Amino acid sequence: MSSKKVIELFYDVVSPYSWLGFEVMCRYRNVWNIDLKLRPAFLGGIMKGAGNSPKSPGLVPNKFLYMTKDLNPQHVLVLLLKNVSLFLPPTGSLAAMRFVTAVQERETGGDEQVECVSRELWRRIWSQDKDITKPESLTEAALKAGLSNRDIEEALALATSDKIKEKLKKATEEALGHGSFGFPVILCHVNGGKEMFFGSDRFELMAHCIGEKWLGPQPKELVKTPN
Amino acid sequence: MSSKIVIELFYDVVSPYSWLGFEVMCRYRNVWNIDLKLRPAFLGGIMKGAGNKPPGLVPNKFLYMTKDLNRLAQYFNVPIQPPSDPFEAMFDKDRGDKQVECVSRELWRRIWSQDKDITKPESLTEVNIKLHAGLSNRDIEEALALATSDKIKEKLKKATEEALGHGSFGFPVILCHVNGGKEMFFGSDRFELMAHYVYFPPCPPGGGRCSLFKSKVNGRVVEGILCAVLCLN
Repeated sequence: MSSKKVIELFYDVVSPYSWLGFEVMCRYRNVWNIDLKLRPAFLGGIMKGAGNSPKSPGLVPNKFLYMTKDLNPQHVLVLLLKNVSLFLPPTGSLAAMRFVTAVQERETGGDEQVECVSRELWRRIWSQDKDITKPESLTEAALKAGLSNRDIEEALALATSDKIKEKLKKATEEALGHGSFGFPVILCHVNGGKEMFFGSDRFELMAHCIGEKWLGPQPKELVKTPN
Repeated sequence: MSSKIVIELFYDVVSPYSWLGFEVMCRYRNVWNIDLKLRPAFLGGIMKGAGNKPPGLVPNKFLYMTKDLNRLAQYFNVPIQPPSDPFEAMFDKDRGDKQVECVSRELWRRIWSQDKDITKPESLTEVNIKLHAGLSNRDIEEALALATSDKIKEKLKKATEEALGHGSFGFPVILCHVNGGKEMFFGSDRFELMAHYVYFPPCPPGGGRCSLFKSKVNGRVVEGILCAVLCLN
């Protein structure tokens, strides 16, 4: 049996395009022969480290308007306008991404919790127009994701520790080291090397590079037959 | 017979991603039921008008673009090879339907495959010879004179302003006229989504005689065919 190809997904819940990339990669986890590793990181740190505009891409009016149509023709304009502050310190996504990192650190035996918590945080910002900066908000998201009260308390406490701050910083620096200037960044380990893909619009090319077939954004899962 | 869907492609030969979009749209001209209209325009004017900056100014973006273009060139089968000094090719020099297509392609090849000049009259003469366009020296002189005329300057300016009006902040911009409306797509990485819009255009406001017809074909849901037919009538 051929070994699975490792694919790392660097993301921040403040980034709507990261949500697209995240959902597609999660769907393909059981379609492609891959080992998906979720790498929560901090977009603010990427923008700073890469010398990219901290408000990119929203600062160019036409780009901003295009993004609203590109993502969703209905209500994203309102959300983008409201959430501009999320892209800027100090109220940015730092607390949320530290929390996600803490959840991942505590989790054993897989990444179901980190996947669900990340998804709930994306939903809060980009579907429900809710806050993600306050502990109460993070608690609500984690409860919806199925974590226990105890898990949440401990994750919140862990999130402000030096250990977690370092871990998030390290993931961000790793992404920068791979050449990131934004999110999502998808790093594919193939043929002894690494192919980096930026954005949620390189899946067909990525499939070609890793020897898989792109089946569109909503593939059917392979039916597992017992052996 | 259903009328063809008009698709306008705004581009500048200084833009390598525009070359990808251009080649794909030319290939799909006889595959999709479309009427492709080439709209050469000026990327510098777009950057200025939209208050944008070229992506290559962020170092990591520039590095990524060179790898991205290399991979895409192979995957799309378009012979892109960055010129020795992309910044000079794109920004330091100032710098015109079957003929337009061929000339555009040759200009792209010169910058983005062969690292050659496109700004001097001798370069355009070379393009003419390459294309066996059969233009005499006089024809070329006249074409070059026309290129600097107010008429052509206005035409290029108009195309650029139109693209800006559609919300452009870069190239390529692909404008699809569907169901009495216009869908704008930026870049050469929205073809799957674009195909979805072209084949399954959203219903016009008010619905009217629209009804959704769903059937499964090879496991994929095909919806809106009846809707599209009704809407086009």
